[in-house]
Amino acid sequence: MRKYFVITGLLVALAFVLSLRVGRYPLSARDILMILTGSEISGLSRGVFFTLRLPRTVMALMVGAGLGLAGSVFQLIFKNPLASPDIIGVSSGANLGAALAIVFFGQSAALMAASAFGFAMLAVALVAALSRLGRFGGAVSYILFGIIIKAVCESVIMILKFFADPERELAAMEFWAMGSLGNITASKLAAVAPFFLIGFAGLVIMRRHIMLLGLEDDESRSLGARVKLIRTLVLGAAALTVASVISMTGLVVFVGLNAPHAARLMIKRVSFAWMVLSAMIGALILLVSDCFARGISGVEIPVSIPTTFIGVPVLLVFMLKRQFRG
Amino acid sequence: MLISLRDVSAGYGSKTVVDCISFDIAPGEFCALLGLNGSGKTTLLKAVCGLLPVTKGMCLVNGADVSRLNERKRARHISYIPQRFSAMQGVAVTDVVMMGLNARLGAMEFPSAELKTLAFNAMETMGIGSLAGEDFSKLSEGQRQMAVLARTLVQDAPVMLMDEPDSALDFLNRHGIMAWFRRNIHAEGKAGLVTLHDPNLALAYCDRLILLRNGKIVSDMRLYRAGKDEIRECLSAVYGEITLIEHCGRYIVLLN
Repeated sequence: MRKYFVITGLLVALAFVLSLRVGRYPLSARDILMILTGSEISGLSRGVFFTLRLPRTVMALMVGAGLGLAGSVFQLIFKNPLASPDIIGVSSGANLGAALAIVFFGQSAALMAASAFGFAMLAVALVAALSRLGRFGGAVSYILFGIIIKAVCESVIMILKFFADPERELAAMEFWAMGSLGNITASKLAAVAPFFLIGFAGLVIMRRHIMLLGLEDDESRSLGARVKLIRTLVLGAAALTVASVISMTGLVVFVGLNAPHAARLMIKRVSFAWMVLSAMIGALILLVSDCFARGISGVEIPVSIPTTFIGVPVLLVFMLKRQFRG
Repeated sequence: MLISLRDVSAGYGSKTVVDCISFDIAPGEFCALLGLNGSGKTTLLKAVCGLLPVTKGMCLVNGADVSRLNERKRARHISYIPQRFSAMQGVAVTDVVMMGLNARLGAMEFPSAELKTLAFNAMETMGIGSLAGEDFSKLSEGQRQMAVLARTLVQDAPVMLMDEPDSALDFLNRHGIMAWFRRNIHAEGKAGLVTLHDPNLALAYCDRLILLRNGKIVSDMRLYRAGKDEIRECLSAVYGEITLIEHCGRYIVLLN
């Protein structure tokens, strides 16, 4: 089990360094070393490194780790291998928020992010409130109300798209839904990092309770878990983790679903270690995907394209390996 | 009294399953709850441990009204072994057993080395020490039951409620754990309430039998006071035509 952590950790470190180097303004390993040690180097290199390249790389790390961790938490507490961060409406809410900002407030990046974040959390809060009021109770009602809220968000988005100006607004909406780390700067990173860290740290701190949520409600309650309360807190933290980053980058697909499965196929256990490995794999996929997104052609491509094309083989390798063995 | 039920009724929705149940269980008393399928045994256990709201009457555990306690406080007083366990796919047996520590830990606290040792000892006691790292969902039904028993042991609550804890166990394990419950309850002054399908097991290990039929108590007897005729009469009220054989100071029930 340890070997998977070591290998993944090394790959993440490698991808991190690679991501610092790749781009329209390439930086060599030696340049980076000189910047970090404070040696003489051009102001341009220094500027590119600190205001663009490093924030972008850290953001990729955060998006991947956040989606990977949250994805594993969702799969565990919904006892469903198909559960991903969107199951309770996080991404649909964010998507709606961004679309509203594009149509009504022009394309200010700050307003788009704020609106996306606000609507993502609002969607989750609605799902949580409805399931706590509802009579079914339990994790299933979160899924049901999640589907409802998601459907509502998506049809409002359709209305907005239908009436949007196809050249500017519609295109912006479509691009937002494909995600990009292209415009991440140090100040944008600083704006989302506190929310992200609160959510991420919350999940790490609540790890013991998250495992208890993996049981049937009656069983965890008889073990002293205040199920309704901790489920709300855990889902809130997971939503915060995801919403904080995707409100800035736009939607990043497949990582939240893929990373937990790859981690599970590696260590074959469901535990906190699994969640950590899932976060690491998510970070790896995002770092590599973002390198492709900016390095594969002259123009930046949306990051959700490479996350899928890199994520699928990762998952396939492990699935097929297991099939052949067993 | 560790458990006191006062005219307790409970059920699902508008359907009342157990009606007007009253009894007390003293420290050191191991009590069996017998009855046919659908007689309300599980419903009664769930009401006692607060998983099912009591619709009428009151249920006191350790002097506290169960319906007023939150899950954490309840779990410090009461441990409960359900009939069916969650799937817990991929969860290691150690982690399952450690979950028993939850009520003893603060919200932000993690098991200390000492508590971890306690969990490992519990696994050894239940004979599943060698399965510590295994996937819980891939164990046999009986091994899973032993793991959950180890978890209950770790929870160490003064009131132990068990819903057919022997259903998947082999002959030796079944007698082993019943003997263990009896010793543990007597030695530590706990209160045990166990539902069983085999009256022989109840006669061999429990101090007292409560018999349920259609959600009501039909008899409640302390075995050390009861004579052979009384025991036969009470059991036949639920099981019909039976023969009670006395062998080496123990009773054995046979269905005619």
